[in-house]
Amino acid sequence: MPGTDTAIGSETVTAVDPKLLEILVCPITKRPLSYDRARGELISEAAGLAFPIRAGVPIMLVEEARRLDEEPVIEPSVGDAAPEDLL
Amino acid sequence: MEHRYAFPGVPTRRLVHISQMTEPMTVFDRALVRRRRERARAGYRDFAFLEEEVASRLVERLEDIRRRFPIALELGARSGALGRLLRANGAVETLVQADLAPGWAMERAAEGPALALDEELLPIADGALDAVFGVLSLHWVNDLPGALSQIRRALKPDGLMLIALLGGETLVELRDALSEAEIEVTGGLSPRVSPFADVRAAGGLLQRAGFALPVVDADTVPVTYATAFHLMRELKGMGESNTVLERRRTPTPRAVFTRAADIYAERFGLADGRIPARFQILYLTGWAPSADQPKPLRPGSAMARLSSALGTTEVAAGEVATGEVAAGEPPSGETPGVE
Repeated sequence: MPGTDTAIGSETVTAVDPKLLEILVCPITKRPLSYDRARGELISEAAGLAFPIRAGVPIMLVEEARRLDEEPVIEPSVGDAAPEDLL
Repeated sequence: MEHRYAFPGVPTRRLVHISQMTEPMTVFDRALVRRRRERARAGYRDFAFLEEEVASRLVERLEDIRRRFPIALELGARSGALGRLLRANGAVETLVQADLAPGWAMERAAEGPALALDEELLPIADGALDAVFGVLSLHWVNDLPGALSQIRRALKPDGLMLIALLGGETLVELRDALSEAEIEVTGGLSPRVSPFADVRAAGGLLQRAGFALPVVDADTVPVTYATAFHLMRELKGMGESNTVLERRRTPTPRAVFTRAADIYAERFGLADGRIPARFQILYLTGWAPSADQPKPLRPGSAMARLSSALGTTEVAAGEVATGEVAAGEPPSGETPGVE
């Protein structure tokens, strides 16, 4: 619905089936992802990539992902991978 | 060397399992595979026959395996033929459909959970799935052993992988005709049709990827076309045209295709003027290892004597029972057993 860009509206757009969230990991590092509900992204801190969710469909393709280093660092996660583990 | 495997729940078709290693190499342009699949969506309906045919053959094999799968992943879901059959079959509770092309994945989302993924980089947690199914999705994967072992890791213990992929006898006539025409017309040769896995290699790959009870069986989908041009147009329509990295980068002279069509018709043409083609389909079945699976017993661990099962008298090694001939040594002279 154009013009109704409310929190609820954006949530329905990006809502991911909970069963998907249970099984998905980062395609490169195979580590858990964090779900950024507001941005509609699945974030792999270790790989430095944010995978988009389009209409509830996670797009787990590296070439479609946003690089996290392209914007201010959010927060380094504890026990994160050594640089050579990053893509 | 061929091995027959008989394991419960799977019928004995042509069961072949060979230990043979093939080295992974980068042969296919994955970005191009994806673009081809994405582009094929628009007019795909006319070209869905192979997907639909192979999907129904795959589900026949699944029907022989009496098992329920709480959560399963389908690779290469495309227009959803296999998904519809799996849902009708009822063995799968939650089916997650995936495709390399986001367009296909988003279309499948209307039916249930869906995602876009690259089979070469499976984004699935270890031990998350009860089954992985797929139709015609893995023949454009560069590292098939790697893709299979990622699938195996994503399965729970005793989880099932059942996938169909194109085999090495696929489109051999087209390959021959194109190679010959290209050599005649241009004096050179470039790769045109995907190097498919063969039955023998596939069995070895399953074992190498760590699957228990691996089985490969093969069958053929025969088709006919008016001309080789119709066949090539169909491949394009399916999103299956050449993605080999080393493919020719300059436009192929039209004379190559014209000559190939002539060679095809001359050499393989049918009485009614049409040309035959065949897609060989390999069905790969494997189970994630589990302690509960049947395993061969340790030698010497038998609980009963073979002789009592056969109702004969056991003879110690080294001795020969009177009146009997050692196995494998035909007696000279008279034919045995004839009075």
